Amino acid sequence: MLSRSCRHLCRRYSQAVTFRTIENSPSQHNEKQEGLFYTMNPDLCKQLFGHGGFPKSFQLQTKTFTETAIMVRRPALDLMNCIRASDMDKPVIRYVLYGEKGTGKSITIAHLLHYVHEEGYLIVHVPWVSEWLRRVPRHKEMSNSQTREGLVDLPLDAAAWLIHFKSQNQTLLKSGDLKISKEYVWSKREKTEAGAPLAALVEHGISRVKYACDVVDAIVDEIKILSTNKLCKTFVAIDGFNSFFYPLTRLNTPTKKKVKPEEVTLTSSFLKLTNNDWSNGAIVVSADQLAVPDDHQESYLPRYLLYKKGFEHLDPFVPIEVGRYNEKEFLSCAEYYRDRLWLRGPPEIETELKFTSACNPYRFMEQCAPL
Amino acid sequence: MYFNSITMSRVIIKQLLPHTKSFCVTFRNPTVSNVFNYSTKVTTTNSNNALENLTDWETLSRKKKISKAMKAYLERSQEHDEFMKRQQFEYNIGKRHLANMMGEDPETFTQKDVDRAIEYLFPSGIYDPAARPLMKPPEEVFPARKAAEFDEAGRPHHFLFYTGKPSYFKLMYDAAENIQQLYNFQDKIIRKKATPDPNGSLNLSSSVWLTKDQLEQVLVETITELEYNNFKLVMQRLVSLPHAYRVKEFIEKYRKPLSSQKFALEIPKPSYDAEGRAFITTYECLRKKARGDVTVIAPGTGKITINGKDITYFEDVQSREQVMFPLIFTEMQDRVDIVCNIEGGGPSGQSGAIRWGIAWGLRSFVDAEMLQKMHVAGLLTRDFRRRERKKPGQPGARKKPTWKKR
Repeated sequence: MLSRSCRHLCRRYSQAVTFRTIENSPSQHNEKQEGLFYTMNPDLCKQLFGHGGFPKSFQLQTKTFTETAIMVRRPALDLMNCIRASDMDKPVIRYVLYGEKGTGKSITIAHLLHYVHEEGYLIVHVPWVSEWLRRVPRHKEMSNSQTREGLVDLPLDAAAWLIHFKSQNQTLLKSGDLKISKEYVWSKREKTEAGAPLAALVEHGISRVKYACDVVDAIVDEIKILSTNKLCKTFVAIDGFNSFFYPLTRLNTPTKKKVKPEEVTLTSSFLKLTNNDWSNGAIVVSADQLAVPDDHQESYLPRYLLYKKGFEHLDPFVPIEVGRYNEKEFLSCAEYYRDRLWLRGPPEIETELKFTSACNPYRFMEQCAPL
Repeated sequence: MYFNSITMSRVIIKQLLPHTKSFCVTFRNPTVSNVFNYSTKVTTTNSNNALENLTDWETLSRKKKISKAMKAYLERSQEHDEFMKRQQFEYNIGKRHLANMMGEDPETFTQKDVDRAIEYLFPSGIYDPAARPLMKPPEEVFPARKAAEFDEAGRPHHFLFYTGKPSYFKLMYDAAENIQQLYNFQDKIIRKKATPDPNGSLNLSSSVWLTKDQLEQVLVETITELEYNNFKLVMQRLVSLPHAYRVKEFIEKYRKPLSSQKFALEIPKPSYDAEGRAFITTYECLRKKARGDVTVIAPGTGKITINGKDITYFEDVQSREQVMFPLIFTEMQDRVDIVCNIEGGGPSGQSGAIRWGIAWGLRSFVDAEMLQKMHVAGLLTRDFRRRERKKPGQPGARKKPTWKKR
């Protein structure tokens, strides 16, 4: 019994292995760590991804493995180098992550979030756009916008996002350096003074859910001004961005009218944010097949997924492909799964798994599950 | 008295006949009754002329040697010969007609041409090839008959004739005797403390026991399931003995080699492309409704192209496994490239067709031992199963409506 628990401990904290790197700070990651796993601090993980950010299956896996281990991969390293090397005075550069289903676009974004958090950026992260536009729970809160005619508000979703925003940028918001530039009047009695901290605006949105969408819009404007004025560096990450450009959403107004994505206030706010009319930041969006319905998933290329409108909106951008595992990454991942007892059996199994999963990270994980 | 018990008619016969030793046989076996009619005749002539009497005895003794059974057999065999001659004649005539019909030379018209002509003139969609029209030489159509098993006096040649299945029981007898001999031999070896013969060994992996039908053909006797099982039992016991190689000849007689040579002969030589890489293209890879062609290129890096896409052409794991199986089995997954074009059917049919195509193409790149293994694993076997049609009156091909009492 003692030896078993000892063995367990050894395994759990085994650092002297080939698939793991002890370098847990993403800013120090370089080509040497490519294909290796690093472990994220659980507290930080909760802070950054407590309200979404990981795909559900990955979230479950972290629970099973009792640790959040992310593989250092080429696209993330490239992006970090790009962000490091880019000139912050110039308009923001937009990066589009694309790739087949299950190749790790969201994980790459998560890795980048960890990186920019360490670098002290202000994080504007939308975990999954389809959550707003395509997922319709039984009681989806919808209301017509008070301030903008003909648009639809999603107050609960906006409030949830504000909480996410708040938890991701705890330290920056607490410091109180970020002041808002103008006065916002919500109603006769409620208003936010010019010069109030950004945190106050966020708090207002959370406590007065009715105004959450307007608050999001205001925050977007303020962030653009703040970062252009070099008060903060801003990192925008939007997963499933192509959902904003798919012709229809699944939402219906109370009058049974189909809602188009551009008729949602959140869409307009985040499209405003992804314009390159501001500087001192970086924008990473992902074009994902899973963000659109099954019958429009023929290709994973951005031109197909973003449609003409989205493509022109983002143009010019830097496309970054997230591919399947290469040989080294696959072996390292298999080693890691073996270490976590996610994969067992004879070593020949890996040849077959490599073939049947076609080196697709998600398929590989799924196929290892019953083994 | 003895005669009182017999019927009236027989009594009359008795009065006509003189007393002979085989009198009782007459009653029991009416088929032989002619003999006695004949013999009565002889006895009557006997009394008339002493000169004729002498010659008659000679013929009688000669005639007597041919038993009734022999006579019947001779008659039957003659009849059969005539029948076969007639059939052969008809077959030859038919063949000439067929040749004329097909506009070919009747002299050089072979059985192969006959088959082709029949297939052309009587196209048949019947599933079972055995049920389709045919024209074969009569010796193939009519089964062989056993030769006479007894001599002219009616005495059987074979010492086991009265078992009813002489060759089968002879086989069993021989097997048992061989076993006994091997036991004795083993005892001798042990007594002498001699080392066993190193080069004496029996290789049974490349052959199998004859099946019941095959054994029946060899023995020219019908045997029951039980008898076949006994045969196998005895032979297995014989084989299991340590010195079984001494009766190798006897054992080999009842074993059939696995048909592996067939594949070795037909394997094509790979051709070479511009880059000097060997490649084999297998056309007509069929399975269910899918058809296509598969090219195996060696040396390669394990790249697979299916209709221009990679293995992700197949969504499900099962189909991918099907494609993978021959490569993994032969351990060639990193040494060859595969290019397939496939159309028709669904994923399982397509992957099955590709699997067969890859295995078929890989024959040129593997050694004989692996080829044997592939054959045993069923990789080189076509799967001819097709979708079974739905039957009227029931919901599916085999599915019957739910039984309801009323």
